[in-house]
Order: sequence, then structure tokens, then C-alpha cells
Amino acid sequence: MIAATPEFDPLELSVLSHAVAMVAEEMGSVLERGALSPNIRERRDASCALFDASGRMVAQAAHIPVHLGAMPESVRAVMDRQPRPGDLFLLNDPDHGGSHLPDLTMVLPIDDGGVIIGYAAVRAHHADVGGMSPGSMPQGATEIYQEGIVVPPVRLARNGVVDEELLALVLANVRTPRERQGDLAAQRAACEAGAAGWRALRAREGAARLDAGCRALLDYTERRTRARLAQLEGRTAEGEDALEGDGVTTDPVPVRVRATIRDAGLELDFTGTSPAVAGNVNCPSAVVRAAAVFVVRTLLDDDVPTNDGIARALTLVIPAGSAIAARKPSAVAAGNVEMSQRITDTIFLALAQAGIEVPAQGQGTMNNVTLGAPGWTFYETLGGGQGASAHGPGPSAVHVGMSNTRNTPIESLERAYPLSVETYAVRRGSGGAGAQRGGDGIIRAYRALVPCTATVLAERRARRPRGAHGGGDAEPGRALLGERVLPAKVRVPMAAGDVLRIETPGGGGYGAA
Amino acid sequence: MRAIGVDVGGTFTDLVSVGADGVDETRKVLSTPEDQSRGVEAALTALGAEPAKVDRVAHGTTVVTNALLERRGAHVVLCATAGFTDLLELRRQERAALYDLARHHPAPLAAPADVVGVAERMRPEGVGLALTDAAIADTVAAVRARNPESVALAFLHAYAHPAHEAALATALRAALPDIEVVPSHEVLPEIREYERTSTTVAEAYVRPLVARYLRRLGDALRNGGYPAPGVVTSAGGVLPATEAARHGAALALSGPAGGVTGAALAARAAGFDLALSIDIGGTSADVGLIEGGEPLVEPGGEVAGVPIALPRVLVDTVSAGGGSLAWRDDGGALRVGPRSAGARPGPVAFGRGGTEPTVTDAHLALGTIHAARFTGGVQLDIPAARAAITRLAASLGATPERTAQAIISTADAEMARALRRVSVERGVDPRRAVLVAFGGGGPLHACALADRLGMKHVLVPPWAGVLSAFGLAIAAERREAIASVMTTTDALDAEAMATHLTALAARVQDPEPGAARRWWMRARYVGQGHELEVPVTPGDDGAQLAARFAERHQQHYGFVLDARVECVSCRHAAIGAARRADFARRGPSTWDPQRLEDDGGPVEAVVRGPASIALPDATLYVAPGWTARALPTGGWLVERA
Repeated sequence: MIAATPEFDPLELSVLSHAVAMVAEEMGSVLERGALSPNIRERRDASCALFDASGRMVAQAAHIPVHLGAMPESVRAVMDRQPRPGDLFLLNDPDHGGSHLPDLTMVLPIDDGGVIIGYAAVRAHHADVGGMSPGSMPQGATEIYQEGIVVPPVRLARNGVVDEELLALVLANVRTPRERQGDLAAQRAACEAGAAGWRALRAREGAARLDAGCRALLDYTERRTRARLAQLEGRTAEGEDALEGDGVTTDPVPVRVRATIRDAGLELDFTGTSPAVAGNVNCPSAVVRAAAVFVVRTLLDDDVPTNDGIARALTLVIPAGSAIAARKPSAVAAGNVEMSQRITDTIFLALAQAGIEVPAQGQGTMNNVTLGAPGWTFYETLGGGQGASAHGPGPSAVHVGMSNTRNTPIESLERAYPLSVETYAVRRGSGGAGAQRGGDGIIRAYRALVPCTATVLAERRARRPRGAHGGGDAEPGRALLGERVLPAKVRVPMAAGDVLRIETPGGGGYGAA
Repeated sequence: MRAIGVDVGGTFTDLVSVGADGVDETRKVLSTPEDQSRGVEAALTALGAEPAKVDRVAHGTTVVTNALLERRGAHVVLCATAGFTDLLELRRQERAALYDLARHHPAPLAAPADVVGVAERMRPEGVGLALTDAAIADTVAAVRARNPESVALAFLHAYAHPAHEAALATALRAALPDIEVVPSHEVLPEIREYERTSTTVAEAYVRPLVARYLRRLGDALRNGGYPAPGVVTSAGGVLPATEAARHGAALALSGPAGGVTGAALAARAAGFDLALSIDIGGTSADVGLIEGGEPLVEPGGEVAGVPIALPRVLVDTVSAGGGSLAWRDDGGALRVGPRSAGARPGPVAFGRGGTEPTVTDAHLALGTIHAARFTGGVQLDIPAARAAITRLAASLGATPERTAQAIISTADAEMARALRRVSVERGVDPRRAVLVAFGGGGPLHACALADRLGMKHVLVPPWAGVLSAFGLAIAAERREAIASVMTTTDALDAEAMATHLTALAARVQDPEPGAARRWWMRARYVGQGHELEVPVTPGDDGAQLAARFAERHQQHYGFVLDARVECVSCRHAAIGAARRADFARRGPSTWDPQRLEDDGGPVEAVVRGPASIALPDATLYVAPGWTARALPTGGWLVERA
């Protein structure tokens, strides 16, 4: 039962839920349609969220899980800087609300007659933010300064007027300034759409009613989250997995977690996880939080509204100085994409050990591929096999875990870049065997038509995605330049005519065959 | 002469007979899902129209939608560029559900074993690997061995370089004369391989079935002495059945398109150019946008998990309708839908065994439905509806009256979200638009929906219960074609533009002498992945087009870029005139200001809310603060006082 307040009638909860979700949805649509770069417009590597005046996330449009629950920290970082009406903030600094540098995040304090009534935030993965290699997803970086321009929360606009000099500073530090400018314009338009929607909603509902309603909405999500966790009360187990290297060495980077369900909440204690490493697979704690929220979200019904209420049922213990609590000058580019996957895998593993019904491991990597030369950069991630579950075989050729981007159409790619795709296929038989087979990975091969540099950041090249309940492990992934098998994380020159072939991992099987 | 519109729905088939002097007959009969043509025939008989006086039968069909939903189409073989035979399985790599990790996408329409790799490759600039006679022979043999009913061809870059597809199609048609051969450049010559392949395979999958169906229907009508049928396409125009048989995938949204078309005609007749339409039925609500007096046509959309990137009247469907069930979830919130009581058991008040309250029960409990005029001769058990709501209210700790109101407002919220989606996302401010509300439930919810969106005018058209069939009867004949362009506007002077437009127009026959010819360029900034449609005519040059594009971009997204504008493709339509229909009220005047029953006869009345007005097949609920005025053209205009 939901307590009625003088302002808010709990019978209106679904009504309000629709109304706020609609605003976030509109932001997503404006961003996707207006963005310039394929990574945002075609692959939708971006997220939009709406916050109330106290910084609580009331709605997020469903796009990319790794952005889930990570943006509240961006908004908090902006709130620490005394935002004024008419300001527009830009940031990517992992120490101040960012995740990794390519994720340029825009936060617009929503102004209503001189009062800030909420925040609209849009995070988008930009195809280049400078640094030591095109695409800003370098292999072998050991300091964040090598990964691109670091933007602490700064006012990109004041009184609604963009600071052209600041924008020029950012654009002077990236390889593809024109594209960045277009994407930033779309991000700003999306923020404005969110602000307009939020103002309209507030005008219709009244400030007090909307505030009480948002509180009730978060309480409701928390209640449904806890109701689910209460069914699993008392379960506890450990999970351990590891990354296959940090891009500098191939020493394993262990991730360890103890999951305990207590008082209808989930405690995740990451004690025992690797200390910060030299390479760039470290991640800020916001990414851990995103992974944890994602895992819990998969345990809930589809219709639970996505807001800060989920995180309230979580307690995280993240050791200071660890690879998953990165601070400057640790490099982090691959942490957001690969460490996030491993954290997710490890939490799932712990839940499985505790007897909770979850799928076998999926491909557990995003297979980041960057190709570029002066004047152009192409970045994409590749899907693979999903783990099988008690409900059936694992889906093939999909993004798994913390990613859910779409592919770049071959016809668009070949028109836009000096590249040709030689093969694009399902990697048959790569899923683990079992009563339910794991999903298959993908094969994608690119031919360079001009000399360029290829960077691959990937995982699960040695440690196979594990099967569950007697199901077989999946084939690990691999990358080949011609005939030569490449390391998991690598930066190599390509001559015109060279072919880079990526074979992504399958998902684990479920149950003995 | 009269035109007959036949709208086949899941439960009912609606018929309307229209002449120059307006509608003279409407009819509802049960649909015959096993063979829709029988239902159509029976309905025509029931209507009793004299065949000699009928010069048109236009049909909205769910044959294609159902075939896709139930996966009952043809055995299709797909010929694809070697190395790229898994495109249908790969889709766009996104998973079926963000958080449900076990969910799969629906299976592709062509099984993996039925995809044949062809040794050929086009590149953006032309031939990369030539298609040899030997490769053609191998492919023909591989197709023959699979014994399909139809073959889809979809090669990379065929939107710009169709030569390989064309050569293989010629060979396949010669070798296998009895099967349908469907090349992608004929169906959708547009960049983006997955969507083009999916659309082409969908066409191959439904074409044999559609052709059979339309042949049967044509025979049945001819035997009855009626003219050959026309079919409404997803784009809202009528195609002669013989042509429609070759555009099966273009019929996937035939039914809902008729509704928006009808709404557009009604809006125009009442003097409105900008409108949102909502058709509320038993299980779902269909929302559309009307700009410049015409339904908005956009490419794209999925039907039953199959992307079909052809032009279609924009229809956003949400699962909220009169039969949607109200319930309490485990978080203690009141929820409405997505489950529906459907036709059986239906709402509690129908007394057919329903126990959970529906939206209709909430209306009955509150008395917003004019009880005198409930359809289908159902004996209403209103106390049972009240009791069901009281039970739900107790579990929520609220009063029954408040619960009934909240059930309605929850359904309203979901529908309002769809209305906002279709308008705001396209840069249209809903407050400037009129809301055209129809279907059994549209006029009941209209005022509340308008309130939610800040709209000030609601139009309830005449024949609100059978508006789709009416739209079909009088919709214009229309033929469409698409051609790839892939040129920036700075490379298009007036002459080059005219060459593109006239070449495209030459492919399309006039539906009737003097048909209107219209073109839209689908354009984007270089680098973008979404296109906006910009109207263009011969005589325009690239600079004019770019300026028009920028205007539209500003309207839709709120900004413009200093970037070149690229034309991806051009769409053309040849459009006949819509039938004239006089919307005047006619017949005896039966209006009684006490009973508030509108039979379609002359009414001069102004009704202030709250009030419920009985329409021939629906109830118009005039909410407090709203005033309804009977229109001389039929129907009602409801305005915020």
C-alpha cells in the first residue's frame, strides 16, 4: 500500500510513471535523430535521463545499460558547482561524474522562471576525444592524459549562450571537430527537449504534486525491487573472474565479489578485487554501480520503472585504490567497456553460486574496434553469444551485458570510410554445448583500402565464457590480421589491402547435453 | 454511383456505402479470419447494395498482418552476396529485450538453410566482383534444389547498382517461371542492407498469399456483379487489386492506415489541417498525425518483428482500450493493461464471465457511457461492474469512485504518451492541433486526452464507429515509387533535379487522367543516419531543397548544421482525387435535448459538460469545462469553454 499525501494520490502512480518516462523518451528521440556520428545516431551509444531538483533520477530512456545508474554522479558533480539558470554543463572527467573520456556528458539545469527545477542529462559516446590514438580507445595507455581531453564539469553555456571559446578549446583537442560539434548540438537539443517536457509536466501537475509524485515513484520502484530480492533472502556466495590483461601486460586482473541478500537488499562486497593497474581497464566506481543496477534490473519484471529506486536496494563495498575505484591519473578508457562487463559477469556468477537462477555467461566483452588515420576514425563494438538459461538457448549475435548498441550498416560504413567489409556472419558453433546451447558469436572482417591504424580492445580471448549447470564453455574470441592472431588488446598498423578479422565469443551452455 | 468501403478487423468487418450525397448505409458483420474474402462477400450481400450502382469496392485488409504474425507465408529462398548470408539473423545486433536476457527476436522469414550465397559484390562506386554466368547457373541450381514458392534477391549496394540483381532475376524468371522473383532494388531501392533485405524477404514471403487472396476476392466480386476491388496500402492510398498483388509488403498496415485516412478527410471537411487522430477499440488504440490535411506518411516500422521500411501512414499502437484489465501489482500500484478481456469474456458488465474490471466497466460505473446506446444488444449488468471495481478499490485502499476515475486516467496516460510521441517527436506542438477521436472508445476519452495535451479542440466525426471503412470508400487512388539518389544538394542544379524527378515519375502510371504528381526527397546532413522528407517539384534546384531541409530540421530537432545536405532517395506518388462525399446531416430530426441521442439527422445543439451524448455507435463524453456543438457536416466539435 502506498501512503497518500495531501499532494499526491497514489492511484495516479502509473499516470505519473508514463508522464516522466515520456519526457526521457522524447530526449532519446531528439538525440538519435539529430546526432551526426554513426556511433550515436545508428548505434545509439547514448543515454538520456531526467532528474528532479534534488538530483534524484526519475526516469531514464532505455538505451545502454552501462549508462544506467551512472549519471546521477554526473548530476551530483554539477550540483556541487552552484549551477545557475541558463547554465549548460559539459563533463567527462571520471573523478567528477564521468565514466571514460569518450562519454561526453551534458547536464542542463532546468530553469523555470529563474529557479532550477530539475536536470536533463545526456551521455553520448563520441567517436574521438583526442589522445594518443584515433577513436580515443587506446591500447596501452597508462595515464588518463593519454586518452584524450579531460573535461571537468564546466559551463559550456551561460545564460543560454554557448561559450564559443570553451567549445573551441574542446574541439581543438579532438580529431574530428566537425562531427563532435554536430553531436554536441544534438545533445544540447535533447537536453532542451527534456527541459521543455519537464517544465510542461510541472506546470500541469503543480510543483508540490510533482515532487511528491516523484518521491512516490522512486519508493514504488524500490518496493518492487525489494519485493523481488526478499524472495531470495539469505542467499550469499562469492564469485571470482578476471580480465585477461590490462593492455600493458597480460597478467590477469582479478575481480572478486561476495553477494549477500539481506533485509531485502543486495550487498556486493568487492574486497579482493585487483588494485588499480597500469593499463586502462580501471574504472570509476560509478561503473560498478551501473553494473550492479543492471544485474538487479535483469531480475525484475520488464515493467518496473527505471529510476534511482533500484539503487536504493543496493549496498556496495568498493575497496579504495582498487581497479574499480579509479582516480587520476589511472587510465580508464577500456574500464567502461570491458571491466564493466567483467564486473557484471562476476556478480552473475556469485548469484548463480548462491543458487539464484541466472543465465550462463555471455560473451563478456564488447570487442571494441577502432580504425582510423588522420582525417577519419571509425569505431564500433561487436555483439556475440548470450549465455543459455533454464528458459532456452542463448540468443546469438547480440550485444551482451552492459552494451546494447546497434551495428553500423555495411553500406553506410563503406560509403563513409576507406574500408570494405569482407565478411559479416554468425560464427556457427561458437556457443557452448548443453541441454540449452549458448548463443553464437559474430565474424566481421574489414579490409583497409588505405594505410591506417587498427586498435582492438577485447576480452574472452583465453578465458572462455563459462557454461552453467553442466553446460559447456563457449569458444573464446579472436582477432586476426591476415593469418596472424593478435593479442586481446592491440594497436597495429594496417597497410592498404590488409584484412582485420574479428571472431567474437559465444555464450555458455546451460545444463548437461 | 456508390463507393463501398470494407474494413476487415480482428472481430468485425465494417462496411460503409458512400455516394456523392453522403453515407447511405453502414453495417458491421463478424469477420471470417479463415478466408477474409468470404466475410467481405457476405458483408456486401448483407449491405444489400445493388451491384450495378456500385463503381468501387475499396478494402482494408489484415491478410498480410496476420500472415506475418502467424508466420503463414510462402517458403522463401533468399539470394544474398556471398559472405553476407546471415544478415536476417544478425539484424542490427541489438538484443530483443534490454533486461530479459533469455528473450529471442522472432525467427527470420527465410530459414538459414534457405539463404544462398552468390559470388558477386558491388561497392559504393560500382562492380567489385562481377557476377559471372557460372555463378548465375550455380545460384539457379541452388534455388531450384530448395523448391521455394518465391525467391528474394538482396545484394549489397543494389540500391545504387542493381545490375547483378537484375541479371540474376532475369535468369531465375526464365528458369523457374512458376515462382515469384523479388529483387530488393524493385521493392526498396534504398541504402541500409538489413532493412532492405528484411523488406524484400517480407515481400517475397507474403506475395503468393496476397495474390491468391486478391484473386479469390476479385472472382467473388465479379460473380456478384461488383467492380474489381481496390486495396488500401500502408501509405493510405488505394491500389487496384491486380497491382496490390505485387506489393504485398506494402499492405502490412492496410487496416490502421484507413482509419487515419478517414480522420484526415473528416478533419478537412470540418476545416482543420493539423490534427492528431486516435482510434480506440477494445484492445488497443491507434494514434496518427495529420499535417496539411493529410496523414503523415513515413518510411519504416516493424510488423510482427519484421522491419518493413516502406512508406506507411504513421500509426502508433498502444495496448490500451475498452477491454484493458485493471489490476493491482506487487508494488501496490493500480495498473491498466496490457492484458485485455477481449471480446470474450469482455467487460464484467457484459455478464459473459468476466470478473476483473475493465476500462469499459469503469466508464459504466461512473455513468459516462450513455447506457441507451450500447452496441451489440448487450444486456448491461452495471451493478456487477461496480462490484468488481469495489473489490479492486478495497485492495488499493481507495474509494470505488476514485478507483474508477483512476482506471480511466491510467489508460488516458498511456494513450497521451502515444499522442505526444507522434507529435512532439516530429516537431509538432499538439496544442495547435485538433484531436480527431473515433472508434468505439475515442469519443469517450477525447476530452481527457485533450486536457492532458493542452489541446483545445476535439472533433468527433460522423460515423465515428466505422470511420476506417468510410476512409477506405472515399480514399484517393494512389501509386508510389522510390528511387535511390545518393547525391548532395550542391551537385543538383534544377536540370539534374528535374531529370531525377521525371525519370521516377515515368515509372508510375496515372491512376486517372489529371492525377496529381508529388515528390519528396529523403534528405539528411552528410553523416546522419535518419532522413527527413522534403517536398520537391521539377523546377526546384538543390539550393532550394537544402533551404527547405534546414527549415524542417529546425522544426523537428531545434537546430541546423553548417554541413552539406545529402539526398538519399526520392519518393513519388501519383494521386487521384478523393471521392467527394457530402458530410451534411440528413434524415428525420430526432434530437431531444433531454435524451441527448444523435441519430445522424439534423441537430442544432450546444451541450455543456458534463454530459454524455449517444452517437449511432459510440458515446461522446463531454467533460466538465468542455462544450460540444453539433456540426452541420455531421459529428460534433467539442471545445474547451
